[in-house]
Amino acid sequence: MTADKQKEFDGGSIWIVIAAFNEAAVIGPIISDIVRRNYRVAIIDDGSQDATGQIALAAGATVVTHPVNLGQGAALQTGIKFALQRDASYIVTFDADGQHRPSDIPRLINALADSKAAYALGSRFLGSSHGMPFGRRLLLQAAIWFTRAVTGLRLSDTHNGLRAMTREGASRISLRQNRMAHASELLEQIAASGLPYVEVPVTIDYTRYSLAKGQGLADSVTILFDLSVQKLHR
Amino acid sequence: MIAQIGFSILLANVMVYAWTEYRRAPVIAILALLAATAGLYFVWLPTHATRLAALVGIGRGVDLIIYIWVVISLILLLNLHLKLRSQAELITILMREIAVGHARTAEPSK
Repeated sequence: MTADKQKEFDGGSIWIVIAAFNEAAVIGPIISDIVRRNYRVAIIDDGSQDATGQIALAAGATVVTHPVNLGQGAALQTGIKFALQRDASYIVTFDADGQHRPSDIPRLINALADSKAAYALGSRFLGSSHGMPFGRRLLLQAAIWFTRAVTGLRLSDTHNGLRAMTREGASRISLRQNRMAHASELLEQIAASGLPYVEVPVTIDYTRYSLAKGQGLADSVTILFDLSVQKLHR
Repeated sequence: MIAQIGFSILLANVMVYAWTEYRRAPVIAILALLAATAGLYFVWLPTHATRLAALVGIGRGVDLIIYIWVVISLILLLNLHLKLRSQAELITILMREIAVGHARTAEPSK
């Protein structure tokens, strides 16, 4: 990162938005690592039954709490709204399950600053992934083809929760899909916005914990249903 | 004749309902209107229903009308699902406002 950029990035204008539901087991060290890097963290506690909110608060995050569980898409939209209200210049979405690396955040921000794109989308297929099961790889490939067909975006990775956006880019996002279909909806909105985007290589570390929290084949059927049904009403 | 009038009143209600839903869910409204129109047509021209039913392998015209009624029911069920989703979206917006308004930040330790 150059001195100029560092100067611009200091001062808390970068908000890391993390949607969390019952992540007490892992959330503390993740937030501490990000806060140590001088980023501001907004945890959207999505109606957790455990101590996610308290742990996040103690680790240095700002905690925005949904009274009940609404889903990851709803939580991310809440985080984006909150960060925009706090005058964020850049917003980064980051998973709570520990599969993303905080060291990838500056790479995403730099990509936005260097390319003047509105969105920097993390790609595990341009970067690397550790411990990805074969079934998950197949599912992701199917998602990539689906996204290309629906949005026209030629991306190498479509369901990666690690992404960054400028203030202008974030203000064009308005997620209505509360649950897992939000990732596809977000790409549809990026395509519809006409704003430029870049892909950035990132690393994904699959753990038993993150795989248990991740999506399966049944979820992909639900996602397809949710996306189709949304087209039927305003 | 009594059955025809009864069916017609029901289908007319479906058409009115579809019309009121047009702004919110146009696809559903059009499907319901088409199905109800087809239903009305076959209720008053049962011989056409019988002919079409035989053509598509259903058997009797009355069965075709029952099938159309089932289709209308499913469309209305889908519309109910969409209404529930709209309600869920409103609840989400409300909760978001509450959540953002009550954000908590730890006091600096230094």
